[in-house]
Amino acid sequence: MFSALQDRVGQILLPGDEFCSDTDDTISLSEPVKSEKLVCGPGLRRSGARLLVCKSGVLRHKPPNVFWIDCQQRRYVPARGETVIGIVTAKSGDVFKVDVGGSEQASLSYLAFEGATKRNRPNVQVGDLLFAQFIVANKDMEPELACIDSSGRASGMGVFGGGGLLFRVSLGLVRRLLAPNSDVRSDLEQLFPCELVVGLNGRVWVKAASIQQTLIVANLLQSSDAMTATQRRQLFAKVQQGAL
Amino acid sequence: MAGLELLSDQGYRLDGRKATEVRKVQARMGVFAQADGSAYLEQGNTKALAVVYGPHEMRGSRSRTLHDRAVINCQYSMATFSTAERKRRPHGDRKSTEMSLHLKQTFEAAVMTQLYPRSQIDIYVKILQSDGGNYSVCVNAATLAVIDAGIPMRDYVCACTVGFVDETPLADLCYAEESGGVSSLALALLPRGGQIALLQMDARLHQDHLEALIEAAMIACKGVSKVLDEVVRQHLQEVSMLTAE
Amino acid sequence: MKETPLSNCERDFLLKAIEEKKRLDGRQTYDYRTIKVTFGTDYGCCFVDLGKTRVMAQVSCEIVAPKESRPNEGIVFFNIELSPMASPTFEQGRQSELSVKLNRQLERCLRNSKCIDTESLCVVSGEKVWQIRVDVHVLNHDGNLMDASSIAAITALCHFRRPDVSTQGDEITVYSPEERDPIPLSVYHMPICVSFSFFQQGTYLLVDPCEREERVMDGLLMIAMNKHREICSIQSSGGIMLLKEQVMRCSKIASVKVSEITELVGKALENDRKARKAGEKCGFAESLPQERITALKTDKTPVEAMDVTEKVDDIIQKAEVPPLSVPSPSLPVPGVGQVGQNTWGLDEEEEEEEEGEEDRDSSGEEEEKGTKTQKEKDKDEVVELSDSEEEEVVILHPDT
Repeated sequence: MFSALQDRVGQILLPGDEFCSDTDDTISLSEPVKSEKLVCGPGLRRSGARLLVCKSGVLRHKPPNVFWIDCQQRRYVPARGETVIGIVTAKSGDVFKVDVGGSEQASLSYLAFEGATKRNRPNVQVGDLLFAQFIVANKDMEPELACIDSSGRASGMGVFGGGGLLFRVSLGLVRRLLAPNSDVRSDLEQLFPCELVVGLNGRVWVKAASIQQTLIVANLLQSSDAMTATQRRQLFAKVQQGAL
Repeated sequence: MAGLELLSDQGYRLDGRKATEVRKVQARMGVFAQADGSAYLEQGNTKALAVVYGPHEMRGSRSRTLHDRAVINCQYSMATFSTAERKRRPHGDRKSTEMSLHLKQTFEAAVMTQLYPRSQIDIYVKILQSDGGNYSVCVNAATLAVIDAGIPMRDYVCACTVGFVDETPLADLCYAEESGGVSSLALALLPRGGQIALLQMDARLHQDHLEALIEAAMIACKGVSKVLDEVVRQHLQEVSMLTAE
Repeated sequence: MKETPLSNCERDFLLKAIEEKKRLDGRQTYDYRTIKVTFGTDYGCCFVDLGKTRVMAQVSCEIVAPKESRPNEGIVFFNIELSPMASPTFEQGRQSELSVKLNRQLERCLRNSKCIDTESLCVVSGEKVWQIRVDVHVLNHDGNLMDASSIAAITALCHFRRPDVSTQGDEITVYSPEERDPIPLSVYHMPICVSFSFFQQGTYLLVDPCEREERVMDGLLMIAMNKHREICSIQSSGGIMLLKEQVMRCSKIASVKVSEITELVGKALENDRKARKAGEKCGFAESLPQERITALKTDKTPVEAMDVTEKVDDIIQKAEVPPLSVPSPSLPVPGVGQVGQNTWGLDEEEEEEEEGEEDRDSSGEEEEKGTKTQKEKDKDEVVELSDSEEEEVVILHPDT
């Protein structure tokens, strides 16, 4: 199955495609039988001895043995460990209710900020933007956020956002922005200096030197959602010439 | 009703008024004992009753609570005996809902809602006899009721309906004039600052006449505000005489 | 569904941008988004796109008994449906405040201004009149539903044709569209709504707010006018305080916008009328942009073909008259697919040469043999051109 999967890396798979583990029907008697371990990511499900594809997208591979389907969607489903941008909707007692764009609102305890104690409460108002990560996010429980990592430091999380613009993009673009050697990010770097906060729930916050530049960056990112790489580079080049 | 002259050559209207005259306004405040504020207002033959409860806690949907302001909830209804033909559906139809929304909008502009966060103010208005200018009479009655309830407001809210006939603006239309197909404009004004809280106009009017019409409406509203002012002062005098030792 | 809350940061940014006279999509303060009007196959069906806001209006008619108070006038009924597909906040069936507001405003704008001649809708006075029903469906909500709905409603009314009717004593016969041409409604004038949104207690004004701007605005002023500069309706909503000067300024801006929009609607109606007269296919499906995979079928794109023109002239001189129809999709080069009629004269020549090659045995003409070698070169050139010059080319690679 490993080789079958490896063959189809980079191809588009549709729900219903399956991989059976008994395609390699020849077992060589001389070599020791290696047990192969496959890690299935989002979009792949195991049912018995078969591996089923349940989302449509491109099959990706990360060596040594991780496979997943890169699919395009707009609605976010909370997952543990992911960093997202949330909007505070209510303060009730010791807990903030935060909207992250999922099926229900996440809760955030006021103690989950750096340097917060019972006496020293964080300054968070209704309507503020927060950058936080999920500590509990499964399908059975209400999701919980924290603005603090496991060692107790903020590391970039917390309240932010004076003077920038928040907008929505698809989840695919967000993942492309956050990928290690991102084309989109390097193109954007050449335009003008700006501050960018990217949440995995499809929300992006931009702040540039002037309002006009902020609007330009926001519009560029929203339109590059649906463009190929060449078209995007052409658009960025046009904007750069116009801006200079 | 063809041939009925809405404005005669001498400048008299159907009921003998001149073009800029407003009908006679009579009002009483504090007519109900159990409401926080109430008022009864007659403008010509149109009679309206307004009752105010509040500020009290949110009832109904808790989700509509605003964390920094009070919610104003208005209900406009007409008594079934108020019109010439018995009204089948006094409230809940589209026109009444629209009137309620307009009243709400008018009072949201005038009442200082930031002083009462997370609470609700109810304003109920009922038309007992309808003879034109329903909206304006409701607004005037509701203003008095809100003042009677002691809820702080930025200014009086006075409203008037004006129509346009033969190049002349007619202030305070009655039912016969309204149904004669005259372009009518309803204006709710805060008289001291000259700010318009609500502006509503139906039927065709050439753009050049708009300014004259708004001007006439503002003058009429200022006239009404003087009368309302008188009523409030008199009421306060009576009440203070009763409570003074 | 509850809508996503608006964060303080977005609100502050939008207000600051408006103070600097910048809008989210780069418009000026008094600019409308692009308006597109398309018609369906039936008379009376019209789609209006105002930026991303999309609205559909459909007019229908039937014969009913008239109202008792007006026995010789027809009835016009308006209805705006806020479909849940337009926005996650719209719920099916519930008459929300917004729905009541939009319905009442549309009624006041179109009915009270008497834009339709209702007396001409009377068939038998006191017994039978036409009831015209205008249904407006909101398909996508990106702000300013009122303007889009009013444009859609009045355009659909102008586009609509009702069946012809004749009375003989007590009998009335309704003719179907095949028997007698349907008659258009008599529309006196076209009222169009223009919406102004106010920010910062009336200091800043924007025309045609989009959805995010609507969420931040203090209040809205809607002015309905026709192109004769008659105001049909004014309505202020939201808790704003206006000054008389602001209202006058808005009415002046509205008159300019209304005349532009009326012109656009008139042109769209005219185009549709011409298309129907000429017998072309018309309707919603036809007006959608064609997105078929055709490698060589594009709109006219200016192409630098200097080096090829000489070869073209040679070939044209030497070749025969090209055949008029292409029998089946031909594959000049592996990897280039072509479906449908192409618009390049060069390729017609090439096809003709291709067929010539196939018919070589049967016809055996010298010219074709002579041009065969040139055709090889041309094939390559053609492929290059289609790769580099044309913008929208999808090259299908057959399975190897």
